[in-house]
Amino acid sequence: MNDTAVKKLALSNFWVAFIAFILACFMGEYQVLERSGLFPPLESAQVYFASVSTHGVLMAYVLTTFFIMGFGYYTAATSLKRPIWNIKLAWIGFAVTLFGVVLAAIPLLTGRASVLYTFYPPLHAHYIFYIGAALLVVGSWVWCFIMIVMMNQWKKDNSGKPVPLAMFATVANALLWLWTSAGVAMEVVFQLIPFTLGWIDTIDPGLARTLFAWTLHPIVYFWLIPAYTAFYVFVPKQAGGYLFSDEMARAAFIVLVVFSLPIGFHHLYMDPEQAAGWKLLHGFGTFVVTLPTFITGFTVIASMEIAARLRGGKGLLSWIGSLPWTNPMVLAIILSLLMLIFGGFGGIVNASYAMNAMIHNTAWVPGHFHLIFAGTTVIMYFAIAYYLWPIMTGKALFSKKMALVQLWTWFIGMSILTTPWHILGLLGQPRRISSVEYNSILTLSWEPYEFAMIVGGLVLLGSACVFIYILVMTQFKATKSFSGEVEYASTYHPVKDLPEFLNSFSLWNKVIAGLMALSFAIPILQFFFMDTHGSSPWGY
Amino acid sequence: MKPLDEEQKKKIIESPPVGTWTLMLVVGLGFVVGWLFLYYGVFLPRGAIN
Repeated sequence: MNDTAVKKLALSNFWVAFIAFILACFMGEYQVLERSGLFPPLESAQVYFASVSTHGVLMAYVLTTFFIMGFGYYTAATSLKRPIWNIKLAWIGFAVTLFGVVLAAIPLLTGRASVLYTFYPPLHAHYIFYIGAALLVVGSWVWCFIMIVMMNQWKKDNSGKPVPLAMFATVANALLWLWTSAGVAMEVVFQLIPFTLGWIDTIDPGLARTLFAWTLHPIVYFWLIPAYTAFYVFVPKQAGGYLFSDEMARAAFIVLVVFSLPIGFHHLYMDPEQAAGWKLLHGFGTFVVTLPTFITGFTVIASMEIAARLRGGKGLLSWIGSLPWTNPMVLAIILSLLMLIFGGFGGIVNASYAMNAMIHNTAWVPGHFHLIFAGTTVIMYFAIAYYLWPIMTGKALFSKKMALVQLWTWFIGMSILTTPWHILGLLGQPRRISSVEYNSILTLSWEPYEFAMIVGGLVLLGSACVFIYILVMTQFKATKSFSGEVEYASTYHPVKDLPEFLNSFSLWNKVIAGLMALSFAIPILQFFFMDTHGSSPWGY
Repeated sequence: MKPLDEEQKKKIIESPPVGTWTLMLVVGLGFVVGWLFLYYGVFLPRGAIN
């Protein structure tokens, strides 16, 4: 298959993602320096909040969305072995998404969207920010649509055959994104844009927070699914073995999509607008969603155990030493799983209804999500890039040794950055503040941790620069050519047929609709049946 | 290492992943112990909010 066109499309998406990433890394380091209070000339609340907002948008919305689109297009073309359906439409989607980013960047960089990349009115940004964000989402829906069409077309042409696992996972993510982005889309279109344009005088923050909670948690799984996809479809092969179970992988993606949606109220445990019963229901759902992560952990570790034993590994645990640690994909998953263990534990504390009070809105929370997102997820984005770059560019990876150093330093830097963050949270340091210096004994005790975070940030920044350097050198400077195709892992006994519920999402869409109605219908409709007075604008 | 024949390969692939079960058990137990420590050792001793 001549896949030059899809390579160009995927690379364009990846480059937007990684440019956003490196810019955001510089901002991240500035932020730890500024808020530490150890460098007075840097202190500026205005610049800090503009930087945090831009850092968050670039990392959480731009890096992720473009990476996921690029990875999805390439996965679709290579796993289904067919060109992208309507590639012109894909480019239109790319252009709309990029235009949304450029539009949102204007108020962000001029300090008129310093809303900490959240959508929590009455704190509000300039309306251009919301229009840009809406376009980013609309552009990404084009990708979702193309992925769904491609899977359906393939199924029609290959009746009864299992959809390749990589494509099944990609479509699971597309559906998850369509479901999850609906919440924030409603908030932006019906509340924030009219509010910021002055068409309505007041806004109901309770309704807005409820709609944002619809999006806020499953969005994390939208970011995470490409990492899980790589766990299942690349790692076993790269480790020299087989996928332990194709069916378990599909079940994990299905449970992840179904149960990641109706759980967002664990972000609202301290909010007054929802009753305790609804919060408890979402709290239970949050614990259920740990299940696919455990299934994933089990399946991919079992796949690696098979690979290690095939390479001569012995003993109960000493087979771990027989894994090919010098393969960037294998090293990345080991480090990713380590960060997932600690990040996942932090998440369980967040989700615990009572204990949440201890760490709610403290530094623990950014510590947790940096470990899960910037750690577990982004390190797999690096590994995917290292794997795909030679295939897409036709040039050998610039330096495998440098790539391994980069992955290790990212892991070390993330550990140094996030451990003090968690400790500071337990010590009571609030999040979302521009300065932690109040000249009291309490805040003085925070200083060593702040210093450690600066060091962690510096290690991460260095690692990020090395990552970009490797990609640039590979694509534009390398002279050694590379010819190879994407190799997807398979089970030892290939899967020949599957029950329809493991090969399609029709049933699961109905289950999601039912669960969403159960979890969100009354909590949202209540705002239309009770008197609420609304809030006037606050902020920009 | 001597290359494995098909029979040895099949045996490895079809054996239960005991190492994986052990790791999952250790992680699961670690979660339970860590949660209990934070709940009883850190959270409850802080007492009620005044």
